[in-house]
Amino acid sequence: MKIIDTEILVIGGGATGTGILRDLAMRGFRAVLVEKRDLTHGTTGRFHGLLHSGARYAVKDPAAARECIEENRILRRIMPHCIEDTGGFFVQTPWDDPAYAKRFLRGCHEAGIPVEELSAPQMLAREPLLNPNVTRCFHVPDAAADGFAAAHANVNAARQYGAQALPYHEVTRLLTDTGRVQGALCQDLVHDEPVAIHADLVINAAGAWVGKIGATAGVEIAIRPGKGTMIAVNHRIVNTVINRLKMPSDGDILVPAHTVAVMGTTDLQVPDPDQFAIEPWEIELMLAEGEKIIPGFRQMRFLRAWAGVRPLYQETKTGPSRDITRSFVLLDHEQRDGLAGLLTITSGKWTTYRKMAAVTVDKACEKLGTRRECRTHLERLPQPDSDRTPAPRRHHTLGERLAHVEHAQAYGDLICECELATRSDIEQAIANGQAHTLDDIRRDMRLGMGPCQGGFCTLRAAGLWHCLKEPSPEAQATNAALRDFLQERWKGVLPVLWGQQLRQERLNELIYLNVLNLDHLPGPTASPLRPENYLPPGHNPQPGEGQPTPASQPPPAAIRRLPPVDALVIGGGLAGLTAAWRLVCRGHKVRLVTKGWGATHWGAGCIDVLGYYPIESHQAIESPLLAMARLALEQPAHPYARLSMKQIGEALRAFQELCAGAGYPLHGSLERNWLLPTAAGAFRPTCLAPETMIAGDLTDKAPMLIVGFSGYHDFYPQLVAANLQEQGIPARAVLLDSAALAGLQRRRIDALTLARLFEQAPFRSAVAQALLSHLDQAERLGFPAVLGLRDPLRAMRGLESLLGRRIFEIPGLPPSVPGLRLHQILVEAIQKSGGQVIEGAEAIGSQPSQNGRQIEAVWTEAAARPLAHVARHYILASGGFLGGGLMTSATGEVGERVFGLDIQSPQNRLEWVQRQFLHPSGHPIFRAGAQTDAQFRTVYENVYALGGALAGDFVRERSLEGVALASGFYLGEALA
Amino acid sequence: MIENIETPEKQAMDADQPVSQPFHLPVELSLDQCIKCNICITACPVAAVTDLFPGPKYEAPQGGRFRMPGQPTPDHSVDYCSGCRACNLACPTGVKIAEMNARARHTLVEQGKVPARLRLRNNLIARTELLGGLAQPIAPLSNAVLANPLARKAAEVTLGIAAKAYFPPFARERFTAWFKKTSKARAQRAAHSNEADCPAASPQKQVAFFHGCATEYYEPRLGRAAIFVLEALGFEVIVPRQNCCGLPLLSNGEFDAARQAHQRNVKSLVEFARQGIPIVGTSTSCTLTLKEEAPELLDMHDEATRLVAENTYDFNEFLLLQPTFYELPCAPIPLTLPYHQPCQYRGHRLGNPAVGVLARIPALTILESHATCCGIAGTYGYKKEKYEIAQAVGEPLFEFIKSVGAPLAVCDSETCRWQITHGTGLPAVHPVELLAASLGSPTEGVLAKVLRLRHTRQEA
Repeated sequence: MKIIDTEILVIGGGATGTGILRDLAMRGFRAVLVEKRDLTHGTTGRFHGLLHSGARYAVKDPAAARECIEENRILRRIMPHCIEDTGGFFVQTPWDDPAYAKRFLRGCHEAGIPVEELSAPQMLAREPLLNPNVTRCFHVPDAAADGFAAAHANVNAARQYGAQALPYHEVTRLLTDTGRVQGALCQDLVHDEPVAIHADLVINAAGAWVGKIGATAGVEIAIRPGKGTMIAVNHRIVNTVINRLKMPSDGDILVPAHTVAVMGTTDLQVPDPDQFAIEPWEIELMLAEGEKIIPGFRQMRFLRAWAGVRPLYQETKTGPSRDITRSFVLLDHEQRDGLAGLLTITSGKWTTYRKMAAVTVDKACEKLGTRRECRTHLERLPQPDSDRTPAPRRHHTLGERLAHVEHAQAYGDLICECELATRSDIEQAIANGQAHTLDDIRRDMRLGMGPCQGGFCTLRAAGLWHCLKEPSPEAQATNAALRDFLQERWKGVLPVLWGQQLRQERLNELIYLNVLNLDHLPGPTASPLRPENYLPPGHNPQPGEGQPTPASQPPPAAIRRLPPVDALVIGGGLAGLTAAWRLVCRGHKVRLVTKGWGATHWGAGCIDVLGYYPIESHQAIESPLLAMARLALEQPAHPYARLSMKQIGEALRAFQELCAGAGYPLHGSLERNWLLPTAAGAFRPTCLAPETMIAGDLTDKAPMLIVGFSGYHDFYPQLVAANLQEQGIPARAVLLDSAALAGLQRRRIDALTLARLFEQAPFRSAVAQALLSHLDQAERLGFPAVLGLRDPLRAMRGLESLLGRRIFEIPGLPPSVPGLRLHQILVEAIQKSGGQVIEGAEAIGSQPSQNGRQIEAVWTEAAARPLAHVARHYILASGGFLGGGLMTSATGEVGERVFGLDIQSPQNRLEWVQRQFLHPSGHPIFRAGAQTDAQFRTVYENVYALGGALAGDFVRERSLEGVALASGFYLGEALA
Repeated sequence: MIENIETPEKQAMDADQPVSQPFHLPVELSLDQCIKCNICITACPVAAVTDLFPGPKYEAPQGGRFRMPGQPTPDHSVDYCSGCRACNLACPTGVKIAEMNARARHTLVEQGKVPARLRLRNNLIARTELLGGLAQPIAPLSNAVLANPLARKAAEVTLGIAAKAYFPPFARERFTAWFKKTSKARAQRAAHSNEADCPAASPQKQVAFFHGCATEYYEPRLGRAAIFVLEALGFEVIVPRQNCCGLPLLSNGEFDAARQAHQRNVKSLVEFARQGIPIVGTSTSCTLTLKEEAPELLDMHDEATRLVAENTYDFNEFLLLQPTFYELPCAPIPLTLPYHQPCQYRGHRLGNPAVGVLARIPALTILESHATCCGIAGTYGYKKEKYEIAQAVGEPLFEFIKSVGAPLAVCDSETCRWQITHGTGLPAVHPVELLAASLGSPTEGVLAKVLRLRHTRQEA
C-alpha cells in the first residue's frame, strides 16, 4: 500500500480546506490535503458565488457582519483575480417591510459597512431590469466571487510553499491508535488503490461531511446539512448583486456570476449531505421571488439548477470546545472527546474562509506546541499561468475572456464557445494532469457551463482529451468520460427543463444520438468517476404555489393579406420542403413560410428511415423494410403505420431522383441500412446516404485512414479511428497541419471554410500532396463532411483520382454541410417550379372559421405588423420541440403555437424526462406531438401536420428524415 | 420564371385598423433564444469571404453574454458586420443578431474606439442629406469631382473612402423641386382621368410618399415613376416634409444623430399616420427603418413612433394590397431581366412583393437572383477597409446578373443598384420604373434607351 508521511493532514478540498492548506504551508508545516473528488466538488462548487459585504447580516448577526466586511476587504486585496467588483444593492420591494431599512442602516453603520443610498432613477440607470416599484435602494461593497478559481489559487500557493493536494482521494477511515488520530486511510479513486497518510495532526475540514469523517473514529459531530437550491439565468440580467432589503430569507439574492445570474437560495435540512433532491417547489420559489426583483423573471431562460449543502452544526456536548465566534465551529476533539490529533472546522461562510483557516491553524500550532504567525492576509495569491493577456491586475471582469479572445484574435480557437474557453485553455487543463474527468476541466475553464450545456464542446473536449491525456486513454475510457460529462450537465438542467432549454437539450440529443450515435459506442455507459445524480424529486415535498396558465395570445386582427394560395406550408425543414416541392411540381400555388432554417442543417445529411427498433435495442436495424412492417403492427398511430411501404418507397425514390438530377445522388434502399461511421467513431445505421459517404460503409472491413485538419475543432480523427479500431475496423488517423496547406492559413476554420476550399482544385491537390506519405495500407480515406457545398462529387472524385483511394465523408457537429446540400436542392426545386419561400416569417397565430372546423388565415410575424396568409390547405411542418413547433412552459404546459392544437404529453413536468440523458427508452416528452387522422389531418379539416410535428420520438428511432420525407411526400401528393 | 402571386380575391383584402405585433422581444434579451446551432454562420455572406468577421453567432448571442457597460469589448471585428440581416432570417429561434451587432457598433463609437478620421468619414458618407444638400446644387462640378480618379484617390488616403467605389452622379434637379413644379399640371390630369378612364379610383384617397435621399438627390426619375403609378391608381400623392430615415447613421453606430433624424420624421409623418394615410416608400431600406430598425435599435416605443411604423409600406407591398392595382392596364415589356431582392427588403419578412408586382407586366420575364446580399450594405462598401469584402460578397450576384445577358438589372434599393452597376457594368432600375413604363409613363434614363432600342429592333 502506498504510504505518505506528513505533519498535518487536511481533509476536504473546499474553500476552508484549501485555505487551511495554504495557511499551514505558509507557516512552514508539511501538509497534505485530500479531497474525495475534484477540488470544490462539495459546497464550495455549489454556492451562489457571493462575497458578502456583511450587510446581509447587519441586523441578524452583527458579529458575522463585522467579520464579513473585514474579510471582504482582505480577499479583494489578496485574490483580485477571483473577485468581480460588482457592488451590491439592497432593494426594498413592495413585499418588504419599510421599517427594516432603519435597522439595516444602523447595523451596517455599527459593523463598519459603507452604505450609500441610490435614488430610483439612479438604480434603474445601473440596473434597468429591476422592479421599477422598488422604493429604496442601498449600495454596499458586495461582490461576485469565483469559488473554483479561489480554491485553485489557494492550492497553487500552498504547493509553492511545498504542500501537497490530492484530489480523488476519499477518506475510508481515520487511523487511530491509543486515543490519538494518526492519519487517515484513503482510497485513490483514479488508480483504485488504497493510500495511507500518516500525520501528527488531522484537520477535518470536510464541511457538511465532517460528521461522516468523525464517525470513522467514533466521534459524534452532529451536522444537519442544510440544502440550498439555486438557479442560473442564461445571461447576466444584472451586473450588481441584488439583495432584498429584509431579514435574510429564501430566494432573496440574485448574483451576477461570470456570464450568468444566480438566484438563490432555499434552506432545507436534509438527513444526508450526499442524498438530496432538487424539488419543483424550490424552483417555483426561485421564480416567484425572482419575479419580485426582476419583472419578467419567470419567462427568462434558465440554464440549470444546483444544490449545495451548508454544514449546520448542532452542539451535542457542553464545555469550552466551541470557538467564541458564532459564525463558524472549531472543535478540539482532544478536549471534547478525548481523542487527540484531530481538529474539526466547519460551518461558516465562503467569505470568511480565510479567517476560519487562520483560527484553525492557530489552534494547530497550539496543539503542536509551536507559535507561528498567520500571514495569509498579507500575500497575494498566485494567478494561474495563462496565455491570457493582459494579465488582470485588478478584479476580474465579465468582459475579460471576450477581451482576451479579441486581443489574441482567437475567434477560431474556441472549444467551449458559450464560455469562450480556447483550445489552449483546455489543453492546459488536460496537460497539467489534474483533470481526471471532463468535469474537472469544466471547473477549471468553465467548459460546458453556457447555454448549450455541453452540446457542442463535449465532443471537442473529449477529442482533445483522447489525444492529449497522459497516459493515453483507451477509446472506451474516452467514451465513458464523454458520457459522464453529458450526464453531469444533464443532471443540472433536469429541474429547469422547459422552454428554450428543453429545445437546446433536444438539439444536444440530435447531435449525440442521430449524428454521433454516442449511445452505441463501445465501452461502459459511465466511469467510476461519474458524477452522482441528485435524488429524484419528491423527497422534500412542499406544495408550491400554483401559477395561472399564461393565456395564449389571441391572434391579432388581419390588416393586410397576401393573395391566397393553394397551400401554405409552415416550416422549412425536410417535411415542409418536401410537401411544398410535391405540390409545386403538381402545379399548385404554394407558399412556404419559415422562421428560419432547421433540422436539415443539424442532421447528418442522410435519410434515416429507421435505425433502432424498438428504440432500446442495441442492434442496428439491417432492413428498415422488415422493421417498419413490425412497427406498423405494433404502433398503429406511428406515421409509418399510416402509409404503405409502397408509399414510403415511392417517397424515397422520388427524392433520390430529385437529388440525382441535381448531381448529388443518394444511394441505398429500404431493404438494407448502411452502417456509416460517425464523428465519434460509432456505426450509424441510415437508409439513404449521399455518394460522398458510402465508401465509409462499415460492413466493408477495408482499412481506413481518417483525415482531420488542425484548427478545425469539430472533428478528431484519432478518436474516430480509435473507436473504429475498437469495433474491428482497421483505421488510422492523420491530422493535417492546416498552416502548411495553401489556402487554409485561416484564423477560423469551420465546416464551411473547408467546404468552400474543397471546391477549388488547387486546395484539393495540396491536401492530396500532404496525404500521400500517410496512405500506407489504407484503402479508403474518411474526411469530415466538408467536401464542397455545390459540387461535392467533383471534389470527391478529384481527390480519388489524386490519391488512388476511395474517399468518403463523415458528418459531424452542426452546421451540417451535407444537410445544407439537401436543403439547397429542395429550395431550388420549389422556386424553380414557382413556389414561394419566405424566410424569417414566423407563424404566430391563426383564425378558425366560425364553426371551428376550418382555418381561415394564418399570421406570420413581419416588420411593423403581422402578415396574414389565406390558403386552401395549411400544412404544419414546424417541427417538434427542437424545430420550435411545440412549446413548453415551466408549469408543465405543452402547446402548439399556430393552431393551438391539443398535444398529448405527460401532465406532470417531472415525468417529461428521464434522469439519464442517454436513457435507452428516450424522454417521454419528446414523444408528444400533434394528433392526426390517417391522412395527417388535424382537428381542423384543412390543417395537416407533418414530420417532427407529429407524435413520436423520431430522434431516438433514427427515423427523423424518413418520417419527414414520407409524410411530406404523401401529403403533397394527396393534396395535389 | 416566377409567377407566384395571382389576382387576389377582393374579400381577402381587409383594411382593418392597424394592430401591433402580439409580442415584442427586446433586442438584448433575444440572445437567450440562441441554441448555438450555427445556422446563422451558414447564412452570413461576410464571414464566408473574410476572416475579419468571426460570424454572427460569435458576435451577437455569444459575445453578447460577455458585454456590459464600461468594459473593453467589443472589438473592431463587430464593425465588419454589414447588417444585411441574413442571419436574422436564417435563425430558427429568433435571436436579433443584426440588431445586437448594430448596438455593439454603437458601443464602439461611444467608447471612442473608432479613429477620428474614420468616424469623420463615416459621418460624411452617412449624412446623405448633408452631402446631397451641398453637392447637388453644383451637380456638374460635384459629378466631375466624384468622377475624378485623383480626387477619389485623395479621398481614399485622407478619409478612407474607397477610391474604386461607385458614386452615382447628382441629379440636375431635385425630386421635390420637380414635384412642386408639376403639382398643378398633375392635379389637372388626375381630375381629367378620374372623370374619363378610371371611375373606380376615388379622388379622396391620399397617400404620403417617402422618397428618401437617393430619389431626392440622385434619381428623381424613380420618384416620378412612383408618382405616376400612384396617381394611375387614383391616389392623391402628398410628399410630406421628411429627412433621411437615419439608416446610414444607425449602421455607422451614430445613434444620437439617428435618433434626431427619426424623431423629426416621426413628428412630421405621424399626422398622416393618425389620419390613416399610408406612408409609402420606394426605398426598401428607408421603409424598413421607419417600420422597425429605428424604433427597435433606438428603443423608441412611444405611440407616435409606433403609429408611423404601422402605417409605413414598401411600395410594392402597398401595390399588392390595392384591389385596383390588378385592374391597371399594363402594356407588355418583352424583356427577360435579372432581379435582385435587396437584403433589407427581405428583412421586411413579406416574401418578395416586387416579383408579384412585376408579374403583372405581360411578356416581362423576371429571373430572381436568390443571392444573399450585393455586398454594399448601404455605406459598408464605400469604406476603404471593406471595399474588397463588399465586392467579394457581391460576386455571386454579379455572376448571376451577367449570366442572364440582359441589358439591365432590376433592384429595389439604390445602393444595391449602384453596386450592381459597379460590379457588372450594367445599369439597374427600380421595379417601379418598369411598371410606370408599362402603364405608359414617359420613360427616362437607361430604361428609355433600352426600350427604344428594343422598339427599333422590333420594327426592323
